[in-house]
Amino acid sequence: MPELRKDPILGRWIIIAQERGKRPTDFLVEEFKVKGGFCPLCPGNEKTTPDEVLVYGREWGSPNTAGWKLRVVPNKYPALIIEGNLDKQGEGLYDRMNGIGAHEVIIESPNHQDRFSHLPPHDMLLTFRAFRDRIRDLSKDSRFNYVVVFKNFGRAAGASLEHSHSQLVALPILPRMVTSELDGSLSYFKYKDRCVFCDIIRQEIQQKVRLVCENEQFVTVTPFAPRSPFEMWVMPRYHNSSYIEQDDSSLIALAEIFSETLRRLDTCIPHVPYNFVLHTQPLRSGPLEHYHWHFEIVPKLTSIAGFEWGTGFYINPMPPEETCRYLREVNL
Amino acid sequence: MDKKRILLVDDEESIQLLYREEFEDEGYIVDSAYNGSEALAKFRENPPDLVVLDINMPGMNGIEVLRQMKELQANLPVILSSAYQEYKQDFGSWASEAYVVKSANMDELKATVRKYLG
Repeated sequence: MPELRKDPILGRWIIIAQERGKRPTDFLVEEFKVKGGFCPLCPGNEKTTPDEVLVYGREWGSPNTAGWKLRVVPNKYPALIIEGNLDKQGEGLYDRMNGIGAHEVIIESPNHQDRFSHLPPHDMLLTFRAFRDRIRDLSKDSRFNYVVVFKNFGRAAGASLEHSHSQLVALPILPRMVTSELDGSLSYFKYKDRCVFCDIIRQEIQQKVRLVCENEQFVTVTPFAPRSPFEMWVMPRYHNSSYIEQDDSSLIALAEIFSETLRRLDTCIPHVPYNFVLHTQPLRSGPLEHYHWHFEIVPKLTSIAGFEWGTGFYINPMPPEETCRYLREVNL
Repeated sequence: MDKKRILLVDDEESIQLLYREEFEDEGYIVDSAYNGSEALAKFRENPPDLVVLDINMPGMNGIEVLRQMKELQANLPVILSSAYQEYKQDFGSWASEAYVVKSANMDELKATVRKYLG
């Protein structure tokens, strides 16, 4: 019997349409092959990118030369542009403004062959530091209200280049996804006087049916109402609404659990394409009692078609309790 | 002074005619290729001073042609010229020196070519 499940934060419904005996290896996944050849993100080709806005690990040489461990550069052909004013306007009942924003690319490793999921935690840490440091810097720009940080891995998940990278976009507006999450968690807080994410973490640690892995500072769970099979959320155990408040010791623990989480996923379904997205408080909100920063990792294993567009529902062929069991049982 | 040579890669005859006329008026020599394979063959045989490269072509697309050209000669300027903005989201396009969206007004494309060829 299929089952309808409701996400406790967004109120979004999903359908668990379990296919009997479906195993992780039954999903058709294109093998990730490194084609090589000329790559604009590789060391030695720094002049093909805009000038770096952040670099880690360069111990010699001048800016925009080789010798780095991580670089952040503006998008060469950005969807939104950094210069100019918003010039907000109304046209009857419609709103518009200039397409102002910052679009940056985080080049996570100098090695073309590296995959993010295979980076050791001490290298992965650089990426999480770059996310924090870039959001901190962009928050000084009063035109921006939110910075969305995300990674696409694999062509099916939207990655156009095999060299390991993630992206961020600073926006003058709050995306609807963020406002819905803030509204949903505030509504829960008003009713129960508790953070919904803290409650989820408490319950998942207690029940251990959707708890994939944990360390002293973080937990990874398969959410109760996942959009995709093997969807996972990485959340700090202790309440905090702001990613940019994290110190290096917290980010080390984050890198450790993230590395373990992605390796578990990649072992269950080798080469699986995925997206991950950072969810954090808006730049201007200050600390929030009702909100809890976290990462959502969504493997690209199902397609979105008419039913999903028409309802906002997702159809998921594997319950999270089962995917969690597979994820826990793999040998790393 | 020797005239600079442009390799113009586009599968549309009307674009070839229009661009050829405009670039020749600017004082350049124009060589044409109508697909990726022909472009790479001409590129190897007689490297131009600059390439104007369409993206959406039958067979090999322009981003792949660009990648192979940069393998052969990383410093040779390549300008992507497409009717579509969306290829900007393909980071393979970063290997190009510039990305110009096709328009009836060729001022931007001509200014970009001038920037690299003088």
